[in-house]
Amino acid sequence: MDQFLKVLEDEVQLIALAFMAVVYMLRIRWLLKFPASRENTPSRGDERAGIAYAMVAIAMPWAMESARKHWTKYAEFAVFHLGVAVAIAVTFILPYWPGLIAGPRAVVAIQAVLALAFLAGVSRFVKRCVRPDLRLISSADDYFSIILLDLYLLSAFFATPNRSAWALIAFFGMTTFFLIYVPFSKISHYLYYPFQKYYLGKHLGHRGVYPKQTGSTNLQPVAK
Amino acid sequence: MQRSEKAQAVVDSFRKKVNRQAALSFGICAHCGQCTDSCHYYLATGDPKMAPAYKADQVRKLYKYHTDWMGKVAPKWVGGKTVVSDEDLEALKEVVFGNCTMCRRCTLNCPMGVDMALLIRTARSLLTEVGVAPQGVLDVSKDQWEHGNQMAVDKQDYIETIEWLSEELQAEVGDANAVIPLNKEGADLLYAINPREVKYAPLSLLASAKVFYAVGENWTMASEGWDNTNFGLFSGDNALGAHMGNLVFDAVERLGAKKLVTSECGHGFRATKWESPNWTGRKLSFPIENYLETMQGYIQSGRLKLDPSVNAEPVTYHDPCNLGRSSGMTEEPRFVLQHCCTEFVEMHPNRADNLCCSGGGGAMSMSEYTERRLQVAKPKADQLAATGAKVVATACHNCVDALSDLIKRYKLDMRVKTVGELFAEALVLPERPARATTEAIGEVRRKVLVVDDELDTVTFLTTLLEDNGYQVVSTTDSTQALELIRQEKPDLLTLDLLMPRMAGTDLYREIRAGNNGYGNLPVIIVTGISPEDHPDLDFRQFIYQHSLPRPDGFVEKPVEKEQFLLSVRKVLESAQETQPVA
Repeated sequence: MDQFLKVLEDEVQLIALAFMAVVYMLRIRWLLKFPASRENTPSRGDERAGIAYAMVAIAMPWAMESARKHWTKYAEFAVFHLGVAVAIAVTFILPYWPGLIAGPRAVVAIQAVLALAFLAGVSRFVKRCVRPDLRLISSADDYFSIILLDLYLLSAFFATPNRSAWALIAFFGMTTFFLIYVPFSKISHYLYYPFQKYYLGKHLGHRGVYPKQTGSTNLQPVAK
Repeated sequence: MQRSEKAQAVVDSFRKKVNRQAALSFGICAHCGQCTDSCHYYLATGDPKMAPAYKADQVRKLYKYHTDWMGKVAPKWVGGKTVVSDEDLEALKEVVFGNCTMCRRCTLNCPMGVDMALLIRTARSLLTEVGVAPQGVLDVSKDQWEHGNQMAVDKQDYIETIEWLSEELQAEVGDANAVIPLNKEGADLLYAINPREVKYAPLSLLASAKVFYAVGENWTMASEGWDNTNFGLFSGDNALGAHMGNLVFDAVERLGAKKLVTSECGHGFRATKWESPNWTGRKLSFPIENYLETMQGYIQSGRLKLDPSVNAEPVTYHDPCNLGRSSGMTEEPRFVLQHCCTEFVEMHPNRADNLCCSGGGGAMSMSEYTERRLQVAKPKADQLAATGAKVVATACHNCVDALSDLIKRYKLDMRVKTVGELFAEALVLPERPARATTEAIGEVRRKVLVVDDELDTVTFLTTLLEDNGYQVVSTTDSTQALELIRQEKPDLLTLDLLMPRMAGTDLYREIRAGNNGYGNLPVIIVTGISPEDHPDLDFRQFIYQHSLPRPDGFVEKPVEKEQFLLSVRKVLESAQETQPVA
């Protein structure tokens, strides 16, 4: 069992990771084959500032009405993605630097994040099933992905104490599956993120839309 | 099932039309639904099929089916689907033309930055290519291809209108030397306009001309390549976009103007300034600016004097999508308004967050969707009402029309003006002589037939016209109108649309039927009806359906005296220059 776990944690993970990296590289190559439209005009704004703004806008809930209006949904989104990031970190920490989370406080802290993320994931799944606008746009991949990620968060929760071999096998088994499946699923949207934000930010920065103007809300006439 | 010819053409073109930005926007959507209530269609209806992600998905299905790796293997798993029949294309048309104004509000509210408008435009492009588009869009596009402007104004008519407006300018400013220069070489700026300003809203062009006169601008207009609007933006037809862009750019280069200024037209500015250089591939040697920037420059340089007390009512500003969300032009209009009115009230949300007027993306030309357009304008109406303003200023003729429609529909106590009109009204000229009547400036008394079932309106228009030197014949019974036309041989007919015995639309068709001796009688439609209350009287749809020429003028009730008289003068002047009335 120990030997199997060791191979699963290490060699299998590295192979799966390499597979994912290759597929991602192929995907990026494929993406770059689409011709990019370019601005043929002098810039009105600042493209770099536009790109920077677009990249970080997701972390500025006050900058988007959709986040301002639905702050609980935004918080849910933040917690869920934080949990996924922590779970991914755990896949590297456990086999290579287990001492980093050996203390009970670290374990509890990580488990707390994973638990909250799991609950956020459940909430997202329920909403996808209940909200008509979400149900209408959801494909099998959407449902499968959220269920899969929720199970993954759960497995990470039980694997984090690094005690139960079965919990670790389940966790690393899922990680392996993820590394192979994700490049073909909607979960790979994060791969597109920097590209999408780069082009959108460049475009809107060029035209002076990004960074967004807020301006004074109490304009007064200057001449009477 | 075998694909229809059109569906096959759409599939064949799809891959070619998808650029990198579109591929990213297709691929990145996580279906999170965050965009849902950023769309005014959804806000007004609560219909999940109006959510931006759903609408984009109707196009994304094609991407998933034909392009996405997983979709090629298991399309259903990722929501991929292709188009097979003409009915599929019609359904797609309904979504991309009828349910979206490409305002981009959802894009700015999407955590992933999906450019929904780009996807919708890609789909429009595919559909337009196979002729599946609203008739209005196809007709206007055809006019732009064939006439070089979206209202099919012929060159002679255009030149005469500019000359007539020059005379109006002279009367307005009291200077016989005041002119609207045409084809002047080496001018500092060439002014390109929305054809609506020549055809139906000459006050707008007159206002700009007055400003240029006041600052002593060295400007000109062109007799060709003067339309800054571009239906290529709406239909997705880049070739048309390039054609229209080339016409205007050629005019600037031909006349050697130092810069190009586009009048207050949101999509016109966006198309001319940003998209046309991309579509044409031309590197321009001259700058392009919006008239808002020109006005701001005049104020900053102290070249003119303004009296904001002339505009004493509370004024709010509506940011047109193509200026606020696609051109970053949000502060210039506010700067101008601060200088030409005494009470400016901000609308919320504003700038890039503003709600669409509901008439963007070419929606004003899609008469089959008029009722839906007005229905989804409710959030905009609420937003306007909350300002408490009496005037909503905007810098887009399309928005002017859409806002006017919704103000009527939702019975708001406000009216729409362009920023330029408010600016011109506040302009202080050395002296402003009272306008001369038609008789005083030596015109022959022209005869106008007023047809309207409301006695109050007939009385009002009759008095107004007679006070200004016209001879008036009137009737409240539309069935008598044809007889009166035969007997009285009027020079002009002002026609109401909603009348009990014979609708104005039918009368108009009768007049334009030809072979009756009065087929060319100039007609100004004077109406207060809302198409949603009387879909059968939707005039835009009516003239498209019956292939009728547009009326010579269009004035909305309640009638504004100056605008009405200006339209009457313009139409009579044009008619006199072109053809004799039977």
